[in-house]
Amino acid sequence: MTSTETTAIVDGTRGGTALLTVDAVSKRYGKTQALSTVSVELGEGEILGLVGHNGAGKSTLVRLLAGREASDTGAIRVAGLPEGAAFTAAAAERAGIRMVYQELALCPDLTVAENAALSDRRPTGALWRRRAERRIQDTLDEVFPGHGISVLDRSGEMPMAQRQMVEIARALCTDRLRLLILDEPTESLGVDAAEALYRYLHRRTADGVSAVLVSHRMHEVVGHSDRILVMKDGSIVGQYPGGTTAESTLLAAMGGEVSTDTGTLERVEAELDDQEQPAAAREGAAVLALTDSRGRELTARPGEIIGLAGLAGQGQEGVLARLWAPGLLSRSVTVPSSRAYVPGDRQVSGIFPLWTVAENLTIAATRALGRFGFVSGARKRELASTWVDMLRVRGGAAAPITSLSGGNQQKVLIARAFAADAELVLLDDPFRGVDVATKNEIYTLMKAEARSGRTIVWYSTDNKEMAHCDRVYVFRAGRIVSEMPGSDATEQRIIADSFDETEGELR
Amino acid sequence: MTTALERPRGASALPGAATRIRTGAVQGSPAVLSIVAMIAIVILAAVIQPGVLSMNGITLMLTAAVPLVLATQAQMIIMAVGDIDLGVGALLGLVTVIAATVLTTSPALGLAMLAGIVVVYALLGFIIQRRGVPSIIITLGMSFVWLGLGLELLPTPGGQTPEWLSAIGQWRPELIPAPLVLIAVATVVAWLIARRSRFGTRLRALGSQPATLEKLGWSLVRTRMAAYAVAAVLLILAGLVMASQTRSGDVNSAGNFALMTIAAVILGGGNFAGGRAFPVGAAFGAITLGLITVLLSLVSLPSSFQSAAQGLIVLAVLAGRVITERFIRS
Amino acid sequence: MTSAPTIATPTQHPAVERIRTLWPAWGWSLVGTLVVLVAVIGVSGGSPLQPLSQALTLVPYLVLVAIGQMLVITLGPGNIDVSVGTNVSMASYASVAVGAAAGPGAGLAAAVGAGLAAAACSVIAILVLRIPPIIATLATSLIVSSATLMLADANRSGAPAELRSFVNARVLGVPLTAVLVAILTVAVVIVLRRTRFGLAVVATGQNSVAAAKAGLPTRTVTGVTYLISGALAGLAGGLLAAFISPSTSLGTSYLLDSVAVVVIGGTLIAGGRPVPVGVWTGALFFVLLSGLLNLLGLSVGAQNILKGLLVVLVVVISSAATGTGRSTVRRLRASLTLPGTTTKQRNNTDG
Repeated sequence: MTSTETTAIVDGTRGGTALLTVDAVSKRYGKTQALSTVSVELGEGEILGLVGHNGAGKSTLVRLLAGREASDTGAIRVAGLPEGAAFTAAAAERAGIRMVYQELALCPDLTVAENAALSDRRPTGALWRRRAERRIQDTLDEVFPGHGISVLDRSGEMPMAQRQMVEIARALCTDRLRLLILDEPTESLGVDAAEALYRYLHRRTADGVSAVLVSHRMHEVVGHSDRILVMKDGSIVGQYPGGTTAESTLLAAMGGEVSTDTGTLERVEAELDDQEQPAAAREGAAVLALTDSRGRELTARPGEIIGLAGLAGQGQEGVLARLWAPGLLSRSVTVPSSRAYVPGDRQVSGIFPLWTVAENLTIAATRALGRFGFVSGARKRELASTWVDMLRVRGGAAAPITSLSGGNQQKVLIARAFAADAELVLLDDPFRGVDVATKNEIYTLMKAEARSGRTIVWYSTDNKEMAHCDRVYVFRAGRIVSEMPGSDATEQRIIADSFDETEGELR
Repeated sequence: MTTALERPRGASALPGAATRIRTGAVQGSPAVLSIVAMIAIVILAAVIQPGVLSMNGITLMLTAAVPLVLATQAQMIIMAVGDIDLGVGALLGLVTVIAATVLTTSPALGLAMLAGIVVVYALLGFIIQRRGVPSIIITLGMSFVWLGLGLELLPTPGGQTPEWLSAIGQWRPELIPAPLVLIAVATVVAWLIARRSRFGTRLRALGSQPATLEKLGWSLVRTRMAAYAVAAVLLILAGLVMASQTRSGDVNSAGNFALMTIAAVILGGGNFAGGRAFPVGAAFGAITLGLITVLLSLVSLPSSFQSAAQGLIVLAVLAGRVITERFIRS
Repeated sequence: MTSAPTIATPTQHPAVERIRTLWPAWGWSLVGTLVVLVAVIGVSGGSPLQPLSQALTLVPYLVLVAIGQMLVITLGPGNIDVSVGTNVSMASYASVAVGAAAGPGAGLAAAVGAGLAAAACSVIAILVLRIPPIIATLATSLIVSSATLMLADANRSGAPAELRSFVNARVLGVPLTAVLVAILTVAVVIVLRRTRFGLAVVATGQNSVAAAKAGLPTRTVTGVTYLISGALAGLAGGLLAAFISPSTSLGTSYLLDSVAVVVIGGTLIAGGRPVPVGVWTGALFFVLLSGLLNLLGLSVGAQNILKGLLVVLVVVISSAATGTGRSTVRRLRASLTLPGTTTKQRNNTDG
């Protein structure tokens, strides 16, 4: 639709007034052109969806919109702000632009009310605490009725989903909201809360508030945006109407990388054929067993892919943690002795930032790479290059891990787990913030590795992914509520089972 | 946006007093241990020497704890932003030296030197934030600077504090022991700063998650500088109180304050990661550790055992904290 | 942590970048050593080799302590062994007391044992009681100083003559202790690069959570590292007992000095990147500098001020030179949320 050269003014004002105009904005980070001459116009009361693969420039664009960074060339104009003034975070704040951040940005040691007071600078006087509490409580009540959050709770002690609600409510805690930027707002929310959020969003846009919605969840973007912009390589490559556009159309516009799926499968299979025949072990005895608090059992046999499903934060991560480190005295867990783990929080518990890809990839496998505690450098390099080639990690084995994009870092972490030759591989939400192409490559790898006789147990916040599993366990409040074969694991069925017992009482 | 007047449908009320007290108790539960430990030590001291429960006895027992409490509140603020000050002991020593020398001979210069310490602390906060260097190393280095300055000013203990300062040390109200008053004032001030003010919220946010504070448009550098400056003021007050009690200066007079204040903060519910501040708990922690020193002298331990006993007690008390935390969690 | 991470620096000239990548972490400490050496020669007017050879007699002890400190600091934010100073003092008495009764070898073994015992106390506090390392080692140092006083009361003998001749022996003009400690340094380099233990130390220092999730025995690694630090401090004390003589303040200066040497040598203070060679250049610099200050007739107070400021200065400057942050995890987080910093810190992007 547009090339890098042309400057297509993408207009969404529908004849009304424009709230915000992005005029031929470009942004460079070192050698990476993050945005090249992007122009967008955003109307009052409009919800603008923004989709694209990782690194397409969505995050950069929303950071510019929030005034967090300055563009290299071009300008951002907001109705009501003086022409030519620098568009800074403070200016954006004055103009009524608020942003909900993708990564959870609450201070864990502060209470809900204190967190809200950090961003809500309305003059409040000596009794500021009580007023701050009142404001955030009212906002939470309005957006997420029945949220069950106490404003005195420390945010670090709340479940992920509640923290996300507070994060959203905090951004809304202002008198003069004109533009709300939502960067992956539903990543950690349950279905009900997500729906409540969108209902609220539509109520506000009816009053003239605009919104920018960035999400990997295509159906949400399609279902709730008035207009959808597709980004690729730092440019806007397509504009589609909301509501009617097919998800496949958007995926196609985002880039044809979806087809890399088969390429990876071929490489992985070629690798496997060299090693051993796919083990027909799925009929074998269970190598893993875990009993929940009511005595229901989770089992897995070699070669199986087990999915942990249900609403977000219903104890699936706890199950992974128990399987990873059962403790000395735990009788309710049986696991193979060699295990590997792909942590969910890549930034905090995943990578070693000072090391290269090769060092990051091989650290879990050092036991197998030498004798008497020594590690052979040659075998280390060999192992790393095998996996880098197989998963096509951009930048190669010698690149510093921090120079990689999030998706490629995730590939390295997954390769680390599989390279360790563990019988049981645990993955905690491996697709958080990973694009479709990488996702497909990782699926393929998981299936191939399972075929070679490994057991894989994984959890995803996106229940649609569960169809890729052999068997799925649905969790609720830390307990197993149902078990089904992967072929039956549709999102509807999982959601239905999650509510089966105690209807309506959603935490 | 709704205001407090027109609440949306189904709005829930703010937590009531009972909920507030319960939440406060749960969140402050790590500090409870320090209170228990303090009571235990007072009882132990009273058994050994019944005189300690008299007005005079309490005054004598708590006198040494006053500077420790003040220094602990300073350490608590530094630890709330996620740092540690290893230089508190040497700095307190330097302040007593300044009080016993320059402050007597030329008060203006003395006050200027004390103000200079506040500026240096703000500068430390600046460096630590801007350069992202660990506070442990910076303050370890600074402790040698303070020590050196103290030695240059007053190579051997001695000097004479100004009259007004000595008078404060001699203050004895009739109804209530003077140290209790000073401790209470110090604690309330620290509580207002760290827990009740908006600045205190930013302070803890800086220790808890600096990226968030920055995203919301606050200056991390200014916040950390302010935290260090406030801590410096409290440390100087601690040093002056100490000098007022001994009426002389000694750069080594607060040798193990670094350990004692850090331990007191931890004992009182603080943590090393930052983001938390429990002024009341920290005060009880400091009193406990101060009383332990008194207790050791009551049982007439050989002098070479004294420091080992202190070290072991700190370890035991912190271990107790860890155990109670596990107990609470399970 | 970069406070203005949104501004990406323009890409530097390739030649500048190549020099940056080739310039070793210990480079600046070597430059400092040479500068101080020139100053010493200028002040004293002697031959250039004489001050160097004199420094080499003192350096091995500092290197021993500092290598332990380096390993501990490499374990990551919050890890520091503040008991090394008192360990050295205590070990000097242990060496002399046992050495007088059972020979110099047994004395050295006792010194190492004393260091190990002190470190074991710290390790128990850190791992079992989960007390943060600074507090644990501070408390240990209090206990150790009591033990030192008791040992000092009980014993008045000097170091055995054999041990004395051993620490004063020279090979081709170079002190034997320097040669042996150099060999030990090489061993430490190999351990850090080529063994599972070494890699685990470095990994733990970069990101202890990730290290645990990657299946590394982080607790064992932490414990062993503190034990090594204690043993090395003990060994240094045992040798110093013969080189100087046991005293309760023998090790006092080794706390700040060891930290300073590690930092000056280019080891990342936030952990995760040890530089054993830098310990040598840093120690040479520090010992030569002390000599220069004595030569200039500075008082104890002034020397303390200068050393303290030097540590602060080096930490600040090195943080600018390497672009390293408070903690690697936080820096990483910053680099992930703000792509600008990635390119800035790493000078390396592939699109």
